[in-house]
Amino acid sequence: MITNSMGTKRPSDAPHAPGGAHPAAMIVRRKQPASVRVRKNLIHIPLIIMGLVTLFPFLAMLSISLRPGEAVSVPDIFINPNVSLAAYVEALSNSRIPRWALNTTIYAVVSVVMVLLFASMAGYAFAKKKFLGREVIFWVFIAMLMIPYQLTIIPQYLIVGQMGGLNTMWGLIVPTIANAQAMFLMRQFIQDIPDELIDAAKIDGAGEFRVYWSIILPQTKPILATLGTFVFLWHWNDFLWPLVSQQSPDNYLLTVGLNSLQSETVSLATLMASAVVTFIPALLVFIFLQRYFVRGVMMSGIK
Amino acid sequence: MTATATRASPAPEENASGPVTGPAKNRIRETLLSRGAMFAYIFILPYVVFFTIFRIVPALYGIVLSFGEYSLAGQLRLSGLENYVRLFQDDVFWNSLRVTAIYAVLAIPLSIVVSLLMAQLCNRTLRGMSIYRSLFFLPVVTSPVLSGIIFVWIFSGAGPISAGLEVFGIELGSWLQSRLLVLPALALVAAWSSFGYNMLILLAGMLAIPSDYYEAAGLDGANAWERFRYVTLPLLKPSLFFVLVLETVKSFQAFDIIYVMTGGGPAHDSYTLTYMIYDQGFGYSEFGYASAVGVVLLVITLILSLIQRRLIGGRES
Repeated sequence: MITNSMGTKRPSDAPHAPGGAHPAAMIVRRKQPASVRVRKNLIHIPLIIMGLVTLFPFLAMLSISLRPGEAVSVPDIFINPNVSLAAYVEALSNSRIPRWALNTTIYAVVSVVMVLLFASMAGYAFAKKKFLGREVIFWVFIAMLMIPYQLTIIPQYLIVGQMGGLNTMWGLIVPTIANAQAMFLMRQFIQDIPDELIDAAKIDGAGEFRVYWSIILPQTKPILATLGTFVFLWHWNDFLWPLVSQQSPDNYLLTVGLNSLQSETVSLATLMASAVVTFIPALLVFIFLQRYFVRGVMMSGIK
Repeated sequence: MTATATRASPAPEENASGPVTGPAKNRIRETLLSRGAMFAYIFILPYVVFFTIFRIVPALYGIVLSFGEYSLAGQLRLSGLENYVRLFQDDVFWNSLRVTAIYAVLAIPLSIVVSLLMAQLCNRTLRGMSIYRSLFFLPVVTSPVLSGIIFVWIFSGAGPISAGLEVFGIELGSWLQSRLLVLPALALVAAWSSFGYNMLILLAGMLAIPSDYYEAAGLDGANAWERFRYVTLPLLKPSLFFVLVLETVKSFQAFDIIYVMTGGGPAHDSYTLTYMIYDQGFGYSEFGYASAVGVVLLVITLILSLIQRRLIGGRES
């Protein structure tokens, strides 16, 4: 951890560590000289700048939403003392936002459950079972990841249309639940579960379904949590498919609805207040389930 | 293999019933009919059904559609290469190809450089580091619609960027109305949205590099830049490649922020291929024509991934 300071031998080091290899040097080195400490803390400067760049759009959104009726010019929106919640009252009195939030919640939650169920079932079979065509079927699935989503969205629209699923909740959900990435990750994870565990359960008389339900599923809890968080946010933020498949404003999701407000005659403050409201659930999910995210991203990078 | 061998006693007459079949055929039947295999088919069934209906069939159907016309009555009429002939004579298509290429050239390096820089900055123990990392990840969980709406204001004539540049006497006006600045603006938004994610992937790669390498480099007198250039970068190649592929796919498929921020404008200057698919398909109901654009996008994606793979593979050998 302190390797940075190892190469650079400053004059102030000399009186503490005359012999270099003396055991006391180990203890002394913990107390870094002031110059090293200052240099180490300098790294905060670019980090803080980048943190502000990251945070600025959110702060601007919040600031504008709190100052309705003001001219939106730059230093003004951050320092003007006339703060009010009027824009939030107006945003929430738009009767459609709660409706959109409900639609989005149903879409996200049902999808998460279905994706996790189907992906873990298929992932288990692909990881632990031998059956004819296993490799072929699996690689067909993975190869389909190469096909751009935009090429399939028109046929998907036509197919769901022929089923009578346009403008319905089930039509919105159904095309999204066979998720290839989720299945792939589940398979990777289940492969690492020792076979002995499954065999032992079978010897104890557990049936095939029982093995899946009470051995495999509990073992996959960490990956289920990670995947579930990701899938939830994908669906919460999903845009293109809800945009083309839901035409009636009552069936919009928050993303589509928020975008539609842009073209309506609402004030910028109300638009931003609506944006803040729609962001809160995603923010809460992120704050409380952050570690699953970080783990998921890091896993995807290593595998 | 052992799993099926141990439970190979379902019925003795089953083995006797086929004396002509070779051992290979027996094995196939055993894997196909064993209880475990039947169970496996049941378990992949829901997934396979949904995947076939909503991924495989649409992909094939999309390719078929690109060779035909779809009437509003729901009839598909094949018209051979008509869509492609029309496409290759269409200025809008060549323009959107150009726009997509420029956008990719801007967005991919920008995002990777920023992510790499931030990963290097975050790859150390420092008080408050976990707060920084969470902060950088916040845009990743933000919906493109939401960030689009905020950035419309940020890049507008009344926004902070214009105000900041005015201090230095530079008047650029609204970036999204500018034919020259609209793509850089979109690339900046894309980089802002994705650097937290890429940074984590690169950081994971950096943490996997053994610290001995850095100590050895330090003993050889390498400074911070040299350690980064000769130890970190070469060993980070797999993670960098992963991020490169990810960013390439993303930039060729960018749609949400373009739809929210510019609608393809001004004057088709942010009219990318994916936007063209949407616009032709759902704006003009030209499903066949839009699918032809989709097939072009598929071909470009395949060629690019082949080139990238060749490039990386060639360097490694």
